[in-house]
Amino acid sequence: MKVIRSMVLVSVDQASLEHGAEQVFHAFLEEIEEFGLSDQVAVSTIRDVSIHEDVPLVIVYPDAAVYAPVKVEDVHTIVEEHLFKGNIVPSLLAMMHELVPEIAWMRGRRGALPVQKRIVLERAGIVDPGSIEDYILYDGFQALGKALTRMKPAEVIAEVEKSGLQGRGGAGFPTGRKWSFVASTPGSPKYVICNADESEPGTFKDRLIIEGDPFSVIEAMTITGYAIGAHQGYIYIRGEYPLAYQRIEHAIEQAEAHGLLGNRIFGTDFNFHIHPHAGAGAYICGEETALIASLEGKRGMPRARPPYPTTFGLFGKPTVVNNVETLANVPAILRNGAVWYRDVGSPKSTGTKVYTILGNVNFTGLIEVPPGITLREVIDIYGKGMKNDKRLKLVQTGGSSGTIAPASLQDTPMDFDSFRNAGVSLGSGALLVCDEDTCVVDLAKVILRFFRNECCGKCTPCRIGTLRLYEIMNQISKGEGSLSDLAEVKKISEAMSEVSNCGLGQTASTALRDILKYFREEVEAHIIDRVCPVGACPIAIRKPEYLSVA
Amino acid sequence: MISLTINGQTVEVPENTTILKAAEQARIVIPTLCHHKDLTPYGGCRLCSVDIHGLRLPATACTMLVSPGMIVSTESPALTRYRRTILELLLVRFYDAGYTHIAGMPALDTQFAHWVNYYGIDMKSAMARKPFRQIDGDPNPFIWVDKGKCIMCTRCVRACAEVQARFVWTQAYRGYDLRIVSGSATTMMQARCESCGACVAHCPTGALDNKMSVKLGPPDRLVTTICPYCGVGCQLELNIKDDVPGGRVLRVTSNSKAPINGDHLCVKGRYGYDFIHSPLRLKRPRIRKYILEGTARPENRGPWVEVDWECALDVAAKGLRNARDKYGPHSIGLLASGKCLNEENYLMNKLARQVLGTNNIDCCDHTSHASTVIGLEATMELIAQSNSLEDVAGQAKSILVIGSNTTEQHPIFGVKLRRAVLHRGCKLVVAHPDFINMSEFATIRLIHKPGTEAALVNGLMYIILKNEWEDHAFIEKYTQGFDEFKQSIEGFTPGHVADITGVDENVLHKSAEILAKERPMAVVWSVDLTHHSTGRVNVSSLINLQLLLGNLGVAGGGLIPLRCQNNSQGACDMGGHPAFYPGYQSVELPATRKKFEAAWGKGIPTKAGMNAMEMMTAAAEGRLRALYILGEDLVGGALDGNQLRRSLGNCDFVVLEAVFESETSRHADVLLPGVTFAEKTGTFTNTERRIQMVHHAVAPQGESRADWKIIKELAHRIKSNGTDGQYTHADWDYGDTSQIMNEIAMLTPIYAGITHERLERTDNLQWPVKNLSHPGTPTLSVEHLRNARGRFITARYDEDVTSAQTT
Repeated sequence: MKVIRSMVLVSVDQASLEHGAEQVFHAFLEEIEEFGLSDQVAVSTIRDVSIHEDVPLVIVYPDAAVYAPVKVEDVHTIVEEHLFKGNIVPSLLAMMHELVPEIAWMRGRRGALPVQKRIVLERAGIVDPGSIEDYILYDGFQALGKALTRMKPAEVIAEVEKSGLQGRGGAGFPTGRKWSFVASTPGSPKYVICNADESEPGTFKDRLIIEGDPFSVIEAMTITGYAIGAHQGYIYIRGEYPLAYQRIEHAIEQAEAHGLLGNRIFGTDFNFHIHPHAGAGAYICGEETALIASLEGKRGMPRARPPYPTTFGLFGKPTVVNNVETLANVPAILRNGAVWYRDVGSPKSTGTKVYTILGNVNFTGLIEVPPGITLREVIDIYGKGMKNDKRLKLVQTGGSSGTIAPASLQDTPMDFDSFRNAGVSLGSGALLVCDEDTCVVDLAKVILRFFRNECCGKCTPCRIGTLRLYEIMNQISKGEGSLSDLAEVKKISEAMSEVSNCGLGQTASTALRDILKYFREEVEAHIIDRVCPVGACPIAIRKPEYLSVA
Repeated sequence: MISLTINGQTVEVPENTTILKAAEQARIVIPTLCHHKDLTPYGGCRLCSVDIHGLRLPATACTMLVSPGMIVSTESPALTRYRRTILELLLVRFYDAGYTHIAGMPALDTQFAHWVNYYGIDMKSAMARKPFRQIDGDPNPFIWVDKGKCIMCTRCVRACAEVQARFVWTQAYRGYDLRIVSGSATTMMQARCESCGACVAHCPTGALDNKMSVKLGPPDRLVTTICPYCGVGCQLELNIKDDVPGGRVLRVTSNSKAPINGDHLCVKGRYGYDFIHSPLRLKRPRIRKYILEGTARPENRGPWVEVDWECALDVAAKGLRNARDKYGPHSIGLLASGKCLNEENYLMNKLARQVLGTNNIDCCDHTSHASTVIGLEATMELIAQSNSLEDVAGQAKSILVIGSNTTEQHPIFGVKLRRAVLHRGCKLVVAHPDFINMSEFATIRLIHKPGTEAALVNGLMYIILKNEWEDHAFIEKYTQGFDEFKQSIEGFTPGHVADITGVDENVLHKSAEILAKERPMAVVWSVDLTHHSTGRVNVSSLINLQLLLGNLGVAGGGLIPLRCQNNSQGACDMGGHPAFYPGYQSVELPATRKKFEAAWGKGIPTKAGMNAMEMMTAAAEGRLRALYILGEDLVGGALDGNQLRRSLGNCDFVVLEAVFESETSRHADVLLPGVTFAEKTGTFTNTERRIQMVHHAVAPQGESRADWKIIKELAHRIKSNGTDGQYTHADWDYGDTSQIMNEIAMLTPIYAGITHERLERTDNLQWPVKNLSHPGTPTLSVEHLRNARGRFITARYDEDVTSAQTT
């Protein structure tokens, strides 16, 4: 009998592949064969969830030793010393401080970061995302089995509703309520859409969920389909995520081969099919109605809402559109029950939230934590402090469309309600940490250029408003602004946030509005004194005018 | 009904009404730019944003549906601020190059300029400083494109897709760089533009304009009239400027109240008006020199001489009178015109029967739709299209288009059919030897050999009968001769029909199934079906098909022969037919003849006259000596022009009324300059029997005269005896065309309720209109079947001689 005592995982993300991960993988196979360990050691691939340069990464279980970067010539040593003799090779171990909390979290590691609460990412980094057996081994498809064999659709919806799960795409709409809307809307067929067109700058949680644990998304979509009475699901994956697309495609094939997707799932009468669809590079297609238009083969532009997709969605039929992270919560809720889920987090913000940390911190990456943690904790504990010990100036939360939280808010608990009261939205969960060297005019310019280019052009305030705002900020950054420009900014951004068609236009000027709220003096310095206090704008190379007077 | 409050006013509207519509009902104006009532709501410009109680953000009135108890306010300081900001932002990307400026002001006649002005923004100072797009950016001969004035409302994109169903315009790029492009940023023509101008009609800024009139400024007055091209009978507005004596046409527009076309026109109607002011128009009467000199007629009739009206009319009257006196009344033939007014065609009929004493009168419609007329006559009491165009386009579940290149011959109806397919999934079966535009929209295309239409339809009926898809109840109740018909169809097995027509058996079966099961089904045909030696059989087979399936007398069904010219139907209605008085009253029925004798005076011929083809044969043989042709290029439009040239050459005396010289005018002795539709007042009757007013818009060009005046003058000159008081309508003293229409109404039961005064009030009269309070008859019912029972005609198929000759 074959007894696997060790498992070798080789990272195969894009960066790793570029640095020879494939050769390393094959080298392991050869060396293990050489040492006669083929019956005892399994070699598999893993999607490394860290964002760092030392790749490829090799993890050896059960010791959870992390080697990085591993070259082909290192493989012999690792196999001989670690797998054959049982001694970890300290010289090849990864430098821990360069790794994201992901890896550090793994079981039994010394010096691990504070334990996160994992629901969405419970398997990411542990299972082979290409293996359905792995997924099943780690409780996969239990929730679907339970739903299909022991629950009525209405009970599934009730359970999700009871869990208090809120949409994780930014708006925070109660998921269970959305499902019950669709379930009770007459009309057939109905559709399930998984929104994986994650285009918000600085947000990459959905990609890592899919790349790390694609089956959870498939299981969740199938459960959704069962709950609302749909038989077709679409997963709209951002075009720039080829690996995620590949993983989903592969996962669908495997699930179908195992009778866990397709016709007569679990031997019941329930049929469900999932079609992956790759986006074509438009930010706006993350907006649900634009996404639907794009899926229908039309130009990806948002429609007027109402009617909402729950009543008039894909091909005019009732449709559930859920974010990847939202869906990834569903299997755990069904498996462990709504009460268990509510116990994680606060009464009004149940469950966990996945954040992406980036910017001027020492660690960047993905964390999953319950609500209630503060920004300061995130930066100090998970981000390992500010880079170069600079001072924190502001954090932009929720990507480019998100709000700005000045350093003064860093002790506010991060849950939907507390943040909302402070005028901050969590949005997609991106946390862009900016230090004192960041110029707010420069930041606003970058954000507005992004929206100017990504606006679909449908509605006036957004199409020309983003252009005008960018032009104005550009003028200011060049020292050519005037105070009346700020009045125009106020006028335009007000119109944009009030009468734009979709979320893009309504939020495109949010950051600018907050900048003027918290950092008005700094902006006015650009206009009145014609100087950039931080020295980041083109204006900075000019001598301030008062110097030339003398 | 849903009750809501708008600006404190309670409004009751049906469900699924938008706030904008509800406000309109309450006479509350909400500013809009991207909205147009013909198009699907877009919600792009955001100008119509209104506050709704309980909603966090304002909503667009054009997209938001009303709900019970909704409280809407359409005005507030904030809304005004947003609207002004929106317009200012639009002007950031708007550049008016100034070519439409009137006295230094940008044109204020556009919807965009109106709102900019309304919100107190100075367009000139707020707009872009310099051009950023090419002015006149497309080589389309009719449509002017200036994308600098485009505000991305996408009304053109939606108009092209939804109104014309052509999909030329689309949006490209994104964000501030978003722009409209034709096709994949090609020229409009390369993107298969049909130049219908729907995009121009829907543009609120003048970014799209009519190329021929872009710099001509606004009109002084609008004249509503009827298009002079095909039988659909669209209503259009001639934009007249009075800067020259009598006025001139600047451009053609349409208005949403037009009963058939709304804001929509085709390329012919919208842009084909330059003939009105053409320098080639005939402006003075002409006669041949030999007549003046009193010499014998040369072989080619010799050179023309321009003369005054008195002389020309005298010569024409004398020529016709001489022929009558010398060779008898039946040596004269008259041809009425599908291009002229009903009133004028009536006068032609009266001239022939009363003054000249012959039934030798026919019209072009007879030559193109003769088989239709004969075919329908056997079954129907009233010889015309049975259902309205809108009825077919709006309610038919399936449509068989056979022998009609609809989008080219009757563009607006063709487009309605395209829309029916696209918007409501109507099934379309197109039978045509060519791959025509309609074929692109067809559920099934039947590409049969030319001339095999009857076999094709018989084959379909064979399949229907074998599967028992026919309408038993209808056949039982409303038809006769079914059993004989059923026997006669036995020979048309799918295999045999496939051999004859070249259409695959399976395709035949599928088409038969669609046509039989998707009912009501309408049959649409036109001249491609009737211009055959077997045309009559072709038409009969279609009638059989509709009797078999019970598609007569129902909305969305029916027999739809599309008449070619704007007044083909009217010319035929007005007695432009050798066997019928006006209103299809047979000349051989003593009762009707008595009625006309009582009206016109004695001496009306008792037997049917010659039709056009017979007249031409008679002319070639010397039996017909004189011809009077009204507004028709007989030779140019004929299938066999050479034969007509021989016939006309052999004719002693030919009088032609026309607006241009033509192939036919080479064979005329007297050429009388008539006028176009824009220079006279009267009525046209379209293919669906709708009688509509034509209005005088510009003064006759040169010395040309309205045709009814010419006919009247001729009648006065030919009549030897004076007027006789004992007959009600013997006189020819008409002051205007409305008096002629009154006479028509007196004598023609189907036009009995028609007066000009009534038509000015309503555009929706389709004959039969039985009296002054009768609302007209949009759909002919089963009562209009001959003897209240439709007769099946024995199915047959003969090889077509005409196509055999041509192939």
